[in-house]
Amino acid sequence: MSRFANSLAVVILAAVCAIAQQACAEESAQEIVAKADTVRNPGQPFRNLTTLTDYRAGTAHDRSVLAVYSKLDPATRQFKNLVRYVDPPRDAGKMALLGDVLWFYDPASKDSVRISPQQRLTGNAAIGDVLTVNLAVDYTATIDGEETIEDAARAQRPCWHLDLKAATPSATYNRVEYWVEKGSFDPIKMKFYSDSGRLLKILYYRDFEQRLGGLRPQQAVIIDAVDSSAVTTVEFSDLQFRDIPDSWFQRDYLPHFKAD
Amino acid sequence: MRGLWFAALAILPFGAQAADDSDLDRIPQAPGEEQQQPASGNGDKLFLQNDFELDSVRTPIVAFPPPAPARWEERLFFDARVAWQLDRDTSLVYSGRFNLRAEDRLPFPDHENIRHDLREAYLDWQPDADTFFEVGRINLKSGVALGFNPTDFFKTRAVVEPLSADPSVLREDRLGTLLFMGQRVWEGGALTLAIAPKLYEPSPVYRNTNLPGFDPMFDRTNAADRVLAKVSFTLADDLAPELVTYYEGGRWHFGANLTRAVGQATVLYAEWAGGDRASLAFEALAYGRETGTIPFFAPPVIPASSARSFMNDLAIGASYTTGNEITFNLEYHYHEAGFSDADWHNWFGAGIGAPPVIAAELWYIRGYAAEQQEPLAQDTLFLRADAQDAFVKDLEITGFVNEDIRDGSALVQASADYYISRDWTVGVLADATLGGKHSDFGSLPGAASVLVTVTRYF
Repeated sequence: MSRFANSLAVVILAAVCAIAQQACAEESAQEIVAKADTVRNPGQPFRNLTTLTDYRAGTAHDRSVLAVYSKLDPATRQFKNLVRYVDPPRDAGKMALLGDVLWFYDPASKDSVRISPQQRLTGNAAIGDVLTVNLAVDYTATIDGEETIEDAARAQRPCWHLDLKAATPSATYNRVEYWVEKGSFDPIKMKFYSDSGRLLKILYYRDFEQRLGGLRPQQAVIIDAVDSSAVTTVEFSDLQFRDIPDSWFQRDYLPHFKAD
Repeated sequence: MRGLWFAALAILPFGAQAADDSDLDRIPQAPGEEQQQPASGNGDKLFLQNDFELDSVRTPIVAFPPPAPARWEERLFFDARVAWQLDRDTSLVYSGRFNLRAEDRLPFPDHENIRHDLREAYLDWQPDADTFFEVGRINLKSGVALGFNPTDFFKTRAVVEPLSADPSVLREDRLGTLLFMGQRVWEGGALTLAIAPKLYEPSPVYRNTNLPGFDPMFDRTNAADRVLAKVSFTLADDLAPELVTYYEGGRWHFGANLTRAVGQATVLYAEWAGGDRASLAFEALAYGRETGTIPFFAPPVIPASSARSFMNDLAIGASYTTGNEITFNLEYHYHEAGFSDADWHNWFGAGIGAPPVIAAELWYIRGYAAEQQEPLAQDTLFLRADAQDAFVKDLEITGFVNEDIRDGSALVQASADYYISRDWTVGVLADATLGGKHSDFGSLPGAASVLVTVTRYF
């Protein structure tokens, strides 16, 4: 074999190793995000009461309660959500169907209105919906490094620092910075960015407790990076595994829905 | 010097970063302390609302028959929508409104001051997870458009004392029809069959001043045998049409509706219905004669052909949501049976300077169209905007324009609701009819109105 051929073989081998190493690293980052997804939400259908409290300049200002019924769609590997408004009373009984097709139902008019993905992102139902997103499906992750950061309770947490880029049109944000605790895969902190790169929200998970077969966060704190006085806490309670038939995600089902 | 930097780095935890104190400081430090226990609401809704309305009236070019439109109205009502679970599979639903009302053209005290609207009262039986049977007074709504729903066949004569001309609010005080309904829902579709029997003979068109106190007014909703069947099915991703067929008075009507998202912010939708019928003007006059409002042998006040043909109704539109939570809906409505150019010409021609009996008959046609929830015009543009948290948090602003394309006249309305607290909401609503004296909306006696509302939710 000529020296040229030897050199070529070495170069090809090095390139293959580099590509393989890169692939391994990316797979590892995706695995971290996927494992953190399973901490955030169980794989089986479940319901929870989501209580959102808006704080203005540190004072609780507004509160709303949603019952969220979530079921993993095996085709998309994303959760379909049926969100029922529980409180305040002016919204009681309204529902948002957030699956492949999005509908909003108001029992006062018995009217179902088709809504756009953009409307999915507005209002309180959006928060309950976004928090069930399987990030590993919608984003491509890379590891930016390892850092020890303070969590919401100012405890030190050794974390992977991940950089998530939107990989599907359904991804809510263009970019997410994500800190996941090493070893436990607990989601600790996220930073959400707009298409233009502007920081929109900072999210901390806290109060991890044993629920639905795993240690899961009971509260998310969402800090508005645009409005410096606005903070929303999102508390998950009354979590239960629940049988959720696929027919629930039809708009014709909405007028028949009965609260449990 | 470099050695000092390395020494400093060595005593820091590996990879540590400076704490992001600015955002950590904003986290409420006593989670849940200020929260009550989560409500366990079952979807029931109860509220007490007071409305006061001032109206500005004009003298229309075609004399309006007495009684004249109200100049002020005061209304206090208790509205309830509740469901009782009788056993695992059966529930009873009630939805209604109890009204105390006064206005300048109503005597006081009078039986007209106290009214109850029974919107719904029905038994719901769910033998399995996906099958439903319901019997009673049921508000069965169909359609996907906002301003006009051609496939919403049970809308006729159903709206009582509307607080707003906004089509989405009109449906909130609408009487259901006494019917039996069976429905099967499955992943990807649904099949519905509704049968409503004729229980009463057709009754005259109601006015605001002759509404019954506690009569459920089944004569409005069950004056003909009616059958509706509809099926929705998924053809492909985001392509699930709904097909509707409807029978009333020996004639079949057909309809379809379809929605589709385009990109992240836009939804396109279309709704069509068609069937054998006569023009609106003929049907109005025929109904007036049938119910005794118009003398049986009186000649028609405007030419109205009795010929029946297949006529179409169509609503096509799109919604668009901006990044700052404002949603716009733009729709085109076509109502083939509505007033043509010739009908409008004849209506004004017969009405200007006409004796009261002729003018009353002309206005009867328009009153009939309103009660049927049919547009009077053949071609209409509808634009609606809704802004959540507009300018300040908890302020919702809604407005719409409904324009008759033929003459450019329009009904415009804007409303603002401010959610003072969890239980209290205040609102203001203003509307106006714009256009020349010879136009659709400009010829109406109601020029403008302002409504102030205060609502307490329970």
